[in-house]
Amino acid sequence: MQKPHFFYLQNSSFYIVTILFCLVLSSAQAKTITQTIPPFNLIAEAHYSKGQTDKPAILILHGFLTTNQFHTVTSISEVLQSEGFTTLAPTLTLNISQRRSLVKCNSLHTHTLERDIIEIDHWVKWLQAQGHAKIVLIGHSSGSLELLEYLIQPSSQAVAATIFTSLFYLNGPELGIIPSEVNSARMLLKNRINTPTHYHFLFCNNQYYATPESFLSYLKADRNYVLSSLKQLKIPSYTIMGGADKRYQKVGKEWLTELKQTPTNLIIIEGANHFFSKEYEFDLQDTIIQILNQYAP
Amino acid sequence: MQPASYFIQPVKTYFIAFLVIGLLLLILLVGKLYNQAQTVQTTLLEKTRQQAQEEINEKLESTIIELATHMLEVAEWDEVRQQIDDPTYYYFWHDDRLKGSKFFQSNHMQIEIYDHTKWPLMPPVTETNTESKTNLPLFIENTDTTVIFSEKGQPYLHLFEPVFARDSQTLLGYIGMSVNLLPYFLTNNRFQYVDQDSIYFTGSGEIELSELPSHIHFSPIKNEVSEALWQLINDFIFQVMILLIVSIIVITITFQILFTHPMQRLSSYLQQIKKKPKDPHSEPSETFFLKEFEELKHSLHDYHRDLQSTQQALNTQYKIVWEQARRDALTNIHNRRAFDETWNELVASYAYNPVSISFILFDCDFFKALNDTYGHEVGDDVIRISAKTIQNTLPEEFPVFRIGGDEFAVIIKKHPLHESFNVAKTCLKALKSYNFSGIGIKEKLSFSVGISHLEPHLSKNLRNDLLNLPRQADIAMYKAKQSLQNKIQCYKSELDNESLSLVSNKIINTIVDAIHTGKNINMHFQAIQSVIDGSIYYESLVRIQNEEELIYPKDIFLVVERRRLETEIDTQIIQKILSAFTNKIIPPNTGVSINVSSKTLLQPNFIELFQPFAPYLNDYKIVIEIVENTLIDHMEYAQTILNHLRQQGFLIALDDFGSGYSSIRYLAHMPVDIIKFDMSMTQALAADQKTRNIICSTAKMVRDSGYDLVLEGVETHEMLKKAKQAGATHIQGYLLSKPQAIPSTVSNIVPSVISTI
Repeated sequence: MQKPHFFYLQNSSFYIVTILFCLVLSSAQAKTITQTIPPFNLIAEAHYSKGQTDKPAILILHGFLTTNQFHTVTSISEVLQSEGFTTLAPTLTLNISQRRSLVKCNSLHTHTLERDIIEIDHWVKWLQAQGHAKIVLIGHSSGSLELLEYLIQPSSQAVAATIFTSLFYLNGPELGIIPSEVNSARMLLKNRINTPTHYHFLFCNNQYYATPESFLSYLKADRNYVLSSLKQLKIPSYTIMGGADKRYQKVGKEWLTELKQTPTNLIIIEGANHFFSKEYEFDLQDTIIQILNQYAP
Repeated sequence: MQPASYFIQPVKTYFIAFLVIGLLLLILLVGKLYNQAQTVQTTLLEKTRQQAQEEINEKLESTIIELATHMLEVAEWDEVRQQIDDPTYYYFWHDDRLKGSKFFQSNHMQIEIYDHTKWPLMPPVTETNTESKTNLPLFIENTDTTVIFSEKGQPYLHLFEPVFARDSQTLLGYIGMSVNLLPYFLTNNRFQYVDQDSIYFTGSGEIELSELPSHIHFSPIKNEVSEALWQLINDFIFQVMILLIVSIIVITITFQILFTHPMQRLSSYLQQIKKKPKDPHSEPSETFFLKEFEELKHSLHDYHRDLQSTQQALNTQYKIVWEQARRDALTNIHNRRAFDETWNELVASYAYNPVSISFILFDCDFFKALNDTYGHEVGDDVIRISAKTIQNTLPEEFPVFRIGGDEFAVIIKKHPLHESFNVAKTCLKALKSYNFSGIGIKEKLSFSVGISHLEPHLSKNLRNDLLNLPRQADIAMYKAKQSLQNKIQCYKSELDNESLSLVSNKIINTIVDAIHTGKNINMHFQAIQSVIDGSIYYESLVRIQNEEELIYPKDIFLVVERRRLETEIDTQIIQKILSAFTNKIIPPNTGVSINVSSKTLLQPNFIELFQPFAPYLNDYKIVIEIVENTLIDHMEYAQTILNHLRQQGFLIALDDFGSGYSSIRYLAHMPVDIIKFDMSMTQALAADQKTRNIICSTAKMVRDSGYDLVLEGVETHEMLKKAKQAGATHIQGYLLSKPQAIPSTVSNIVPSVISTI
């Protein structure tokens, strides 16, 4: 599929000046929103910046074990705020009230994918409660995957579109998941033993210290599950992938092909890594803005 | 400037003093330097200690702040809040996660989370080997930081930090942490001024944090610069001391070699020379480094050698002179001087070495007549032969002295009287047996020998008895002369008064006493008047007062001659006359004539006897009268003595010319100024023409020879007239005055003496 002309980003200096100017203007309206997630009695925080009401509110979800202060998230938030979009960047509690820092692999992980979905849902509803009738969800990395999991379930009608960046999957031998550990975790859980154990998971290798329940909950999102879920989406989805993401070394470049074969609009920023660092940050921002502009009047 | 005696010290003393003073000064200097360095070192140490103390305090404070900050960070840690919210997996988190996290550091002994009620989220599980008192409490009673000392004295900090909900002051719980302070302190600090290994804590129980500084102990780190400087100073001082010691040794050795040893050696050499100046001393064999010492050594040796040569030459000359001075030119035997020295030496040493002494006098009988008969040349031959005969006869150890014209003395020591007598007898026999006809003497010559002897063990007064020996020998010889058979007489005390039978013992005693004490000597003066200008001087005549009467010279000199007291009485007379001058008894512009015996003339102190008269020579005419025998017998010696006095202003008168056997041939050479004709010659002017002519001719010869001529015994004007005609320049006699105790003045003198010229 031929991409729109605006997908090709050039001469970004203009945007830099504009973003810095708008950042100064919008910073006065930014604030931290604290919400108690009712089922867990955990206090969750989100960075909220109210933009133009005629533009959709953007919920930006961070990646695995990070916070809303992760640079990819903050850069997207800031540029969107400068563009007049309302942004909400929550930090998933991961079972830690008012969590403000990254969670280490060897931290005690008791959070589950399901709990994360509940928190996402809570924040979407909070946005709606704030009067935002149109909401666009943007996720980064596993945040994209969690938004995907949220969207395939019955969710708010206010969500108009979703943008996945660096969308991968969580389970698979190519990712280092060790079947014996999975089986052991399942056995423990079956036996109602939820004591924390070190697992091989994503980039944590053998350092991921989690309860079996927590560990197993994320293994749900394997390769096929993700591709299948994309196909189940009822709203437009955009998937922005870095052309030089090192994850391809494990999942293979075929992943892009497979994604392309789904309904999602796949956008590849050549040269960008998993986090769209350096100059590719602006390419990502430009891409997102151009997408969002479709949902703005 | 003359140095005080205590400054005169050996060179070694000065050198040691110099060394000691120099060394002390240097040690003082080095000590001062060392002291200064010590002060600097102490100051540096104190400064370092202060800096160390400040550093310890600062580091301790920063450590506490750091820990407090760390506690804040822990309290802010999400996972702590996670555990407060849900401590289900607390132990897993605590043991697996917390201890592996950056918040649990190596010296964090324990970190626990407490709930807001200050009870632990879960009961702490501690290792069994940990000390319970250092464990965090089960309940937080006080959130202030406390210090708890272990049993081993190790300090543990217990810190507590509240955990509040974010964005509110809702207390969620507490973080408690136990820190093993010492290792933590040492691990997390780097010290600049404190020796890290020296830091330790002491204490026990629980203390407040504010008390902690007083429980820390440490040592300042060694200041390398200071240490290096101190080491440098110590090295320097050590090197200086070594240098000093080496210098002292080198200087001492050098000084010893260059100066001390040469000086000591030369000093020793000089001491040897001083101890035995007459011995030859070889030059020191050592060779000295200093040229000056070498030259001094050679100079000393050469000087000593030359001195010895000179001394030897002088000794030889002196011996010759000494011998000449003590040898009689006529006889070549010892003379009067040699006798005097020998005798004085014997007297001086006799008290220490009293031995038997015999004093023998030999005298040729009638020698004067012989001299007059055969002439002096024959007389001299007689004396020469006599001396040689006596000397040849005597054993070698007994030298013969010629003590008078024909008088010889021999001193024999350590022999009894009879042996001395035999010696004298042998000598007399040899003299008698000598054939004097060979020198033209037709008569048989006889000799008299007088012997006096002293046995020390029989003497009560050794010295006095010794001094009397010559006189006693003289008396004995006088006795021998009177005898035709016993020509050898030994003195015995009875001889003293023999021939003095006409003089009472009382008078004798008075005379002897007067001679020895000067008492009762009463000088009389008889005028002698110039027939030319009428000037007067007086002949002094001795009298001795014996109760109411005077003893006259006839008796006095009888005793004097018998007892050989001529010198003694002359001495007393001279003192009396001197007293007369002092007392102004002698009229001004006159003078005094003093008679002296030949024995007195021969005394060594003869000139000195008259020196008290020297001040009167300008105003008075002082005449010394001697008899011609004395002059003739001792012409050479008398000339020397009398000329000396004449040069001083004394006049010498030859007394009693013509009374004996005066020799006209000596007249021209006599050391006299005045010739006094004996009274017999004056009286002879009244005799026959032939006699008168001889006297007048003699008087003319005297006058022509330049002498004044005094005629004695002028008692009448007729005699005065004849005396003048005979050529007398002065007259003396009753015509002018008798001898008087008070000298007659000019007015009392016969005025016609001049007018009748």
